[in-house]
Order: sequence, then structure tokens, then C-alpha cells
Amino acid sequence: MRFAMGSSIDQRATYLQLQKAANQKLQDLYAKDLHFELDKINEPILWVKNMPNLFAVICYLQTDEIFKINYLSDLTAYDNIDHIDGDKRFVLVYQLLSLETKVSVRLKLLIDDSEDAKTISHIFPAANWLEREVFDMYGIVFRGHPDLRRIMMDERFIGHPQRKEYDIKQRMPFADNMKTNLDRNPVP
Amino acid sequence: MKKTIKETIKETIKESKNSVDYKNITDFYNPNILINIGPSHPATHGTLRLMCQLNGEVIEDTKFEIGYLHRGKEKLGEVKTYHQWFVYTDRLNYCSALINNIAYAMTVENLLEISITARCMWIRMICMELSRIIDHIICVAINALDMGALTIFWHLYRWREEAYTMIEGMCGMRLTTTYARIGGMFYDVPEDLHDNLKKFCERFPKALDEMETLLTTNRIWIDRTKGVGRLSKEDAIKYSTSGPVLRASGVDFDLRRDRPYYAYADIDFDVVVANNGDVYDRYLVRTEEMRQSIRILKQCSKHLQSANGPLWVDDRRVFIPDKIDVYTKMEVMIHHFKIFMEGIDVPPGENYTAVEGPNGEVGFYIVSRGGPKAWRLRIKAPSFLHFQMMENTIKGVKIPDAISILGSLNIIAGELDR
Repeated sequence: MRFAMGSSIDQRATYLQLQKAANQKLQDLYAKDLHFELDKINEPILWVKNMPNLFAVICYLQTDEIFKINYLSDLTAYDNIDHIDGDKRFVLVYQLLSLETKVSVRLKLLIDDSEDAKTISHIFPAANWLEREVFDMYGIVFRGHPDLRRIMMDERFIGHPQRKEYDIKQRMPFADNMKTNLDRNPVP
Repeated sequence: MKKTIKETIKETIKESKNSVDYKNITDFYNPNILINIGPSHPATHGTLRLMCQLNGEVIEDTKFEIGYLHRGKEKLGEVKTYHQWFVYTDRLNYCSALINNIAYAMTVENLLEISITARCMWIRMICMELSRIIDHIICVAINALDMGALTIFWHLYRWREEAYTMIEGMCGMRLTTTYARIGGMFYDVPEDLHDNLKKFCERFPKALDEMETLLTTNRIWIDRTKGVGRLSKEDAIKYSTSGPVLRASGVDFDLRRDRPYYAYADIDFDVVVANNGDVYDRYLVRTEEMRQSIRILKQCSKHLQSANGPLWVDDRRVFIPDKIDVYTKMEVMIHHFKIFMEGIDVPPGENYTAVEGPNGEVGFYIVSRGGPKAWRLRIKAPSFLHFQMMENTIKGVKIPDAISILGSLNIIAGELDR
């Protein structure tokens, strides 16, 4: 019954053949040292080890014939406080896509509270605001980022609301006479 | 030595004359005039703030500020059950709430590995194309309205009302629909939908033709839009724009055709691509996409009439029973209670599902660790990336052009700030 008529993925689609070849290639190349898995709709997830490793993988995916990755769909993170996905606190998620071959790859990276991530905004300029959002919501610092400020929350806000320990009802009213640091970079 | 009050005032004036502010205000050729558009401004259509540094009328530098409509939807997604969160999808891009409903339902169905029934699928496709038309009407009409062409606004909003009336007939709401459910739709379509759709598909293209006679060859419209906000193909890819903005820049990419979901592969429609990436081309792409949506609607309506199967998927985990059964049968009542009080138990796993929304790629990324609530619910909103692109490419244009670029991108604050 799985993936019949009303499936959210058309099984006759031409890109699926390429996606399968891409999954196989990723597995052949990286499955020895890196953890490789498929998600619920058979898209590849590759767990990279560290930041230099991430850059190497992205560089490879950009140049390879099958992948030709040239588009950053999404960049986000999630909290790994229960350590199901690994020992470290957060998981960074890079959702990559190729506009030419229509193949998508998800790269994941475990990162700790005390560690700094590195920006990829020089490879994909779209990552600029996305990284700012991750910094705002999780407090992950991206080294080399051109303008790392809060984006959604007020700059006087203390804490990072998407962390699991931040209570949903924990509100933060600001007094009228509290100073704002608008447009001051870096924020003091 | 003690200064008199007079001396102090004199000194203060002398100091302030040397200050940067004084120079900026009085020096005619000083390029450092700062101007704030928004957060609450009739031309922004939402709470956005554009801080511009002007030289004469030309914008030299900009910083945008967002977050005025931040409601913490992603955090709420980790606190509410999957069913409860449906109402929040309506308030993302409130001009095309149905697409957000359906995209979210698709993501959760992928986690549960459910395929919906054929009838449900055709209803969803009709809903998606209807709301695409509505969203494009808003974008084109408001864009023209910002530049002073009020007639287009009145002319097209009548058709938006017609479309909303059809949606109201389907789910009882106009703007915040909450129509989709996991594994089905909350109501079946009314009997008069096909007649209304037929009328709409016949008459709306005529209204579009009339609109085009008013705009497409209009000298003023061409002068105001052609070559304004030009975005190159490379920049469009670099800044991850999607949807009509990407296609107007010459990138031939549409998720409906290139990564097809549901039955878009069986439907005849063309992907609209333009070359220049300016406001005029975005307007042309959106106008033509409305015509293509009408084509899709006609075919979907035919398919829906022949698909007489069940609306709901035959899966006890997600099936919401009829109200009449809930009130009369004990087991059904328990089932209903379980679904709404405890929620659906979604197995661990994750996926990222994206659909072609009217503004671009609308995606949901859900990480489930089991249980009725998501561990992480990420919304990928196209407006967010479009607004970032605008911040980086707006330098060198004039203020009125900036307003027309902003209108052509169709930035929706609900989606931008989430």
C-alpha cells in the first residue's frame, strides 16, 4: 500500500533514478568513515564529523557529476539534549539541492555547546540570515560570519528560545527605559 | 573657573555644529541621510523595517530588520500535538493557507508512511491551485496598487472573493482554513463546487486578459517596472530564491514538474520562465502561472468527478470518525477521544518535504522521536530568503523602485517571521 496513487512522491519521476544513484554513490564513498542513513522518504542523510569535513563534503558535492549541488534549501539545527543522535548537544542540518540534477542531500553535524561552528555564507550567501536565525534560536556561534546578530528576537533578549530547557511560557518583558543597541555592530 | 549658563549654551551649540548629525542634516551633498520605512507603513504590507541610507533619492546601503511578527511557531510545534499544530500553518502565509495546510499534512503523512486516497489527492490539488491563484492575485494587484494603479486592485479582488467563496463552501472558512487533516480532508467538497469551478475557469481568464490590456502594454507600468530590481540568474541561485522569483530570473525549476508530488506528472501544464528577473518579468510569470493554474484546475475537476472512492485513508491511527458515530457508538467515541486528547503516535524518523508554494518552496522538516509531538518542526519559508536577497541586491535603486521590488517579491510577514 505504501506510495501508491496519492503518494507525496511520484514513483515514476525521473529524478528518483538519479537520487538512487546518488544515494549509492554517497554510501560507497563515505559509509566507511561516516554514518550514512536514509530518511523516511529515502533521501540521504550524511553525518559529517567536523567542520573541515563538512567543507570537504560540500566541495565534493558541488563538483561531482551526479550531485552538482548548487542550492541551499535550508539550514537549521535541533536540540539533541537527550543524546539520542550522539554525545554532543546540537545537530546542525544542511539541506542541499541541485537545480540541475534535482538531487537532494542532507548533511548533519553534531556540535557541542562550547564549540563554534564555521559559517558557510561564503559558499552559499543565503546562509547568512539562516545562520543568524540558528544563532538566535540555539546560541550556536558561527565563526567568520559577517554579521552575527539576533534576527527574530529583540536584541535585549536573554537566552535562546528554541533550546529545550527554555520554557514555552517564559516571557521576557522589557522596561521602557532599557537601552537598545540597534545597528551597533558588534552588539556590546 | 565657573562657566556661566550663557557660555555653556554657546559651547553646546558650537559642539553640535561640529557634530556628525548636524552635518548630515544641513549638508546638501552629504550622502548620509538615513530613512526608515516601516515597521508599520502602508507600503510594506506587513511589519517589516527597511533602514536605508540615502544619497539623494538613491539607496546606498540598507539593513533590514524583521521579527516583529515572531510568534514562536517552531517552538509551539514542539509543544502542541500534530493535530493541534494545523491551525498554526494557516497563519504562516495567510494568503495561501491551504498550501501550508497540505504541505504540513504531507510531511506528517510521510513520517507515518501513509498514501492518501485518490479522491483526497484531487481535492488537495484543487485547493493548492486555487490558493496559488489567490496569492498571485494579491501579489499582482498589490504591486500595481503600490505604484498607483488602483483599478487592477478592484478588478482582480472580485475574483479573489469568488475563489474565497468556493473555499468557504469547502471548509467553512475563508482565510484561516485548517482544511487538511493527516490522512484526509476534514470535509468532502460540496456538490456545487464543480459548477462554480467551471464558471470560475471560464470567466477568470477573461478578467486576466482585461488586466493585461491595462498593464502589460501600459507605458507607465513598463517604465516603472522594466529593468527595476534586476536579479541575475547566478544571484537568484546564490541567494536561494525560489518560485516565481527564481523562474523570472531564467532558472527553469519547478518542484511540481522536477520533483513531482501527487499527480502533477499526469497533468498538462507549462512551467513559466522569463529571462530578465526584473519586476516586469515577475509580474508576467505570475500572470501566466495563474493561467496554468486554471488549466490544472480544469483537469483536476474532471478527475475528481470520476474519483468516487473514500475520502479518508483506511488507517486507524489517523482516521477521524464522523461526528454522528462519535455521539452514538462507544468504540468510536473512545477512538475520537484518544486521537484528540492524546494525539497520533508518530514513529521516530525525519523527513523534509517541500511543495511549490505561490511564493516559492514551502518546506517542512520534522524530526520525530516518537509520540504525539514533534521533536523539531522547522518551517522553510520562501519569504525569508527573498527578503535577504532584497537586502543584498537593493543597493543603487531609488526609493519608489524599492517599493515596487518589495511588492513583486510578495513578502508575507507571517511567513517571514514565523
